[in-house]
Amino acid sequence: MWWLRSRRRRLATGVLLILVAVGGLVVYDRVFREEPAPYFQSDEDHFLYGSVGTEAEGIPYWIWLVLPRIFPEYLRPGGYASIGMLSRDGHEMPIGLSRVTVGVPRVGINCAMCHSARFRATPDEVPTVYPAAAAQQDGARAYVKFLISCANDPRFTAGTLLGEIAKNTRLSFTDRVLYRIAIIPNTRRRMLRLRDDRPFGHLTIAGATPPHEPAIGDSDVMPLWALGRRDGKPFLRDGLNTSLREVVQSSALAYGATKKWLDDDAGNWNRTDPRAMSSLRRVLHYIGELRPPTYPFPIDDRLAAAGKLIYDANCATCHKSGGARAASVIPLSEIGTDRQRLDLWTPDAAKAYNVYGQGHAWKFANFRKTAGYLAVPLNGVWLTAPYLHNGSVPTIADLLEPVAGRPGKFWRGYDLYDSARLGYVTLGADAERGGTPFDVTAPGNSNVGHLYGTELAPEQKRALLEYLKTL
Amino acid sequence: MPLLVAVVLSAGIGVWVMVSLGVDRPMSYDGIEEHFKYGSIGSEPGISLLAPVGGALPPFWVLSALPAICPDKAPNGYAGFGMIVEPGHDRPIGISRRRRVGLDHAGLNCAVCHTGTVRDTDGGPPRIVLGMPAHQLDLQAFVQFVTDCTLDDRVTADAIRSHLPSSGGPSLFERALLRAGLVGRLKTQTLNLRNRIAPILADDVPRWGRGRVDTFNPYKAVQFNWNLRKLPPDELIGASDFPSLWNQKPREGMHLHWDGDNDSVDERNLSAALGAGVTPVTVDHDSLKRVRGWIWTLPPPKYPYSVDQTLAARGAPLYRQHCAECHADHRFRDGVTTGSRVGLVEPIGNIGTDRHRLDAYTFVFAANQAGLYPDSPYRFSHFRKTNGYANHPLDGIWLRGPYLHNGAVPTLRDLLDPPDRRPAAFYRGNDVFDQRRVGFVSDVTGTGGRSFSRYDTRVPGNGNGGHLYGTALSDDDKWAIVEYMKTF
Repeated sequence: MWWLRSRRRRLATGVLLILVAVGGLVVYDRVFREEPAPYFQSDEDHFLYGSVGTEAEGIPYWIWLVLPRIFPEYLRPGGYASIGMLSRDGHEMPIGLSRVTVGVPRVGINCAMCHSARFRATPDEVPTVYPAAAAQQDGARAYVKFLISCANDPRFTAGTLLGEIAKNTRLSFTDRVLYRIAIIPNTRRRMLRLRDDRPFGHLTIAGATPPHEPAIGDSDVMPLWALGRRDGKPFLRDGLNTSLREVVQSSALAYGATKKWLDDDAGNWNRTDPRAMSSLRRVLHYIGELRPPTYPFPIDDRLAAAGKLIYDANCATCHKSGGARAASVIPLSEIGTDRQRLDLWTPDAAKAYNVYGQGHAWKFANFRKTAGYLAVPLNGVWLTAPYLHNGSVPTIADLLEPVAGRPGKFWRGYDLYDSARLGYVTLGADAERGGTPFDVTAPGNSNVGHLYGTELAPEQKRALLEYLKTL
Repeated sequence: MPLLVAVVLSAGIGVWVMVSLGVDRPMSYDGIEEHFKYGSIGSEPGISLLAPVGGALPPFWVLSALPAICPDKAPNGYAGFGMIVEPGHDRPIGISRRRRVGLDHAGLNCAVCHTGTVRDTDGGPPRIVLGMPAHQLDLQAFVQFVTDCTLDDRVTADAIRSHLPSSGGPSLFERALLRAGLVGRLKTQTLNLRNRIAPILADDVPRWGRGRVDTFNPYKAVQFNWNLRKLPPDELIGASDFPSLWNQKPREGMHLHWDGDNDSVDERNLSAALGAGVTPVTVDHDSLKRVRGWIWTLPPPKYPYSVDQTLAARGAPLYRQHCAECHADHRFRDGVTTGSRVGLVEPIGNIGTDRHRLDAYTFVFAANQAGLYPDSPYRFSHFRKTNGYANHPLDGIWLRGPYLHNGAVPTLRDLLDPPDRRPAAFYRGNDVFDQRRVGFVSDVTGTGGRSFSRYDTRVPGNGNGGHLYGTALSDDDKWAIVEYMKTF
């Protein structure tokens, strides 16, 4: 009896151990195993589709794929493309979304989500996508809003999602079970923790406590071209850091990259083979060298020449490369634009960022608190509408008007260009259909300040406008 | 002992159910032409009995019974919609049968839209031409009938059972399913499909009429579940003519579809298969490859009537001067591409034809197509938004009327007239050939139980303007060009 019992026990223990081992292997394989990120040959494709380490916190690919088909009512017709995500060349993922296997294939976001723009010269033409230009469409916030809406919907169930996934691929039995009992519920929990009521982006890691709740102060996306020669000068709207490396690395962290990923990436910083090289280094190299696109419409050279004189007299000190105050932070008291974005960043936040990476190869030291906004370089300025740090003025023509003459309400996100005013078309049925309304009376949206040039005569403004096209 | 019997019995039933559900077997054909006409491309529902994936048609035995159950909605059966019924076959050309998840399912295949009939005279026998546009088919009316009748109260398990054939009918398992709630589930599926495509099935948009299909709008609803009513109303007007399928080899790399949105024959084929009801998981790639291999070199049918060789010879240089640059010439049937603009997209501003079809295909839609056949070697990567219509080669052009992408001009001779002299309204779907003007007879409202589709060029999407090439020539020259084009 004793022997029999013991053998049974031994057998049971053995079976149990094997089960645990197999189960452990499956869990490791489907939850933790990280495959190398896909390699893109060109730096441009790497920027548009490559990984900056945000996938582990991202949405599993199959869930991401079917959400717009299950919850179309939270989007305009058009899937992710309807909320300003751009696509090009038949590439599977939209620009700004990367796909990497961490256990299962997962979708993360990268720089290009906000730093790529879509442009059309005429309503009839096929849109052009400019990588690294500043997005003026919904993009990231609309994506997060959509994910939150889906997660809050009672139809977000394993049954519904797996049913839709089954129309697209045959998951293995193990995967179906894992999706049902773990991946789908976990993803939903994670999505429910997302917040769409606070500023996005670069200011969201590690104790960057906003001074007021609700935190407001979204700023306009900035273009990422030719940044190399500005390294050491202030970056971001308020110039809160002067190191391009730190800005790029902290941004990746803010958008979901883990410290461990950044450790690995920083460890490959000095490798030269692009396949093995740090992903962020490649991004940094790309945005360091990229030239802004040239103005695609005809320019009146004589008028532009006249405009150059006006520019040199009125704008060059702050905005021309080599100008006395170029690419420096201009005190808010002087420039007078909306202050919410500036107030969002505090001395404590700068301190927190500077200690965040202690002990890591990538540690930060250059975060600081400033008192104003950056006088941005104007290379490629024609493609950076709307204007001011908060995007409160739709065109340069409007910016050259006194505050009372600037539009109070307009629609952002339509990609049709208005070459007469230098900016996108922001009014009318087409602009409304694809756009997001912008009201300058909402907190953080004020269009006051930056009165430079508003006193010029109309023909001087026309000439200045013409010259700005050449930058 | 009774327990043992019960266990054995239920185990037996269990195995029977599992085996019946697990079978995936198309009704297959050795001859390629039969395969094209009746073979399965995987457009039948599959994967799971309770949540079937894919397919636009009800199970085969239901589909067969529908015209008898709803005779008021289909007085001439499926043939009334222009489907071609051959003697000795249990279903029209273009409909496949496949045993999946326990049922004999029906699906659509390539032949439904790409097989046509031609008659020499009104009373003559129809000739079936494989690969030609199904100019006689009213696909919209067919789909409308199938969904409407399936949802009709008269369609019940009993009604279907009473219309089953006395021999060779469904298997025991199917009969059991029929009793066990199949019809209710079918109606739910059909309702879901109809809800998605309602705005383009009903009269919200101008009717497609015979010989036309809106390629991409159904796809927006079925594949992506977009709410079509939220799209700009004009975007839902996208009907255009079925194209011919022959001679694909020299087309590889050309801009295919009317607006030239894709330059890969294989991807275009897989896209069309989605339209027929396949999904990335139910598609039968081997079967599609057979069809692909066949249409790759399928020759366009030669013009069977007399050609005035002298007149044609006079037309050849005129054609070369006015048409060949964009459309190649009679040698394209042998794979010879002449003309520098063949297969390229002509900007809409130049060609000036009706722009609705172009606008129905949007940049946003193209972006979404890149997510079709995901995570597989077949994933779409060639779709692009364009800004015009593609210059197509004209092999077998005599069988491809009416002309222009939307079929707004009944004959080749009419196309050489300026728009104000092209017929403002005419009838489509008659298969009697007009040997003089080259095209199908278009001034008859109906004949022998078939009624044709009235085509009004003033209806949005139906415009017959644009493509003015050759319209300024003399009448003699125009007749000469038409004669020459009979040799294509």
